[in-house]
Amino acid sequence: MFILNPQSGIPIYRQILEQVRRMVASGQLPPGTALPSVRDLALRHTINPMTISRAYSILETEGLLERHRGRPMTVASQARNHSQLPKRLQQIGPLVEQTVMAAKQLQLTEAELVKTVRREWEQNDE
Amino acid sequence: MNSSTVEASKLSKAFGNKQVLQDMSFGVSPGDVIGVLGKNGAGKTTLLELMLGFTPPTGGAVRIFGHESYSLPGSIKARVGFVPQQDELLDQLTVADQLRVIASFYPRWDSALITRLCEEWGVNLYARIKSMSVGERQKLSILLAFGHRPELLILDEPVASLDPIARRQFLEQLLSISADGERSIVFSSHIVSDIERLANRIWILKEGRLDWQGDLDSLKESIVRLHIRGAGAELPAMAIPGVLSLQRDGAFATAVVRDWTPEVQDALEKSASVQIEVEALGLEEIFVELHR
Repeated sequence: MFILNPQSGIPIYRQILEQVRRMVASGQLPPGTALPSVRDLALRHTINPMTISRAYSILETEGLLERHRGRPMTVASQARNHSQLPKRLQQIGPLVEQTVMAAKQLQLTEAELVKTVRREWEQNDE
Repeated sequence: MNSSTVEASKLSKAFGNKQVLQDMSFGVSPGDVIGVLGKNGAGKTTLLELMLGFTPPTGGAVRIFGHESYSLPGSIKARVGFVPQQDELLDQLTVADQLRVIASFYPRWDSALITRLCEEWGVNLYARIKSMSVGERQKLSILLAFGHRPELLILDEPVASLDPIARRQFLEQLLSISADGERSIVFSSHIVSDIERLANRIWILKEGRLDWQGDLDSLKESIVRLHIRGAGAELPAMAIPGVLSLQRDGAFATAVVRDWTPEVQDALEKSASVQIEVEALGLEEIFVELHR
């Protein structure tokens, strides 16, 4: 479910936070979806369980996940899931910023960048 | 008495007039996996040996399950497991005999676990120890420390001779030990990527002192590389808090800093009117930067 890279400078709990937020916002994880248990995730990815619990607790506080006794955590039912457009745009902001900066460093024009994005978008749709 | 697994205050150790460890205070709680990092000679082995009570401190104290390490009662020793850097296997024995010898010391020995692990790890019970490779000896010496299901497991560079597959099996086993949140692990290793997977807390030893201790997550958030961009052709003079290294190049600068927070970033961006991009660093790079 997650793509986790322990060697990245981004702490693992933050990698989980970002991925869950993104997948819930986009509807990829609809309300009621069960998340893997901390133990399963730790063993599957060979990573420390505490950093996973930390991510789950933060997501619970944010109202994105719900904790149930003796059952896996789920995506909250009235999750501020499928969130408003501005919020989703805000989440992709840093990535866009980075892309634009790289494009300028490479001396690409705006039109060239937009064209590349469009091509990628269409290929991804196929 | 307290619920800490390990508690050390101002722990120091000198051999003759050579000060090896100075003024170390730290704690280990149930569920902690502590990764101990340090250059050769930083004092890692001495620290682990002090915790185990192999040698008395020359200053301060370290307690395990509430008892002074150097005078641990047998009942407490039975709750601790240790994998030394140099194995202490008996060359003339077979693996099965060696396991039997160690098991006889512990009433709670879990032979089902050890039998299963021997099979999974490919340890041949009938091999004679003197004919085994360094890696095979290391596997056996790890198994010997697991069998009594210790509540505190201390490992001194346990995987130096293991191949990547064996190391991964070892990490998986350590994880399943720690996943119940009740047992603690302290392990030193130069294989930073293993520590990055397994540890929730990090101790960085430098010249006999604890240079950094805390959550791995916080470490990665606090030690970062900054890419600083000024408005003009020349970057203005500015004081960067916690700077470890700095390279200036016209309107740009690259700096590695410790104790970084978003608040520090805001303040610096405003006061020096610069733009800062933060690059996260992996543990290996952080370790190298702390030693510049």
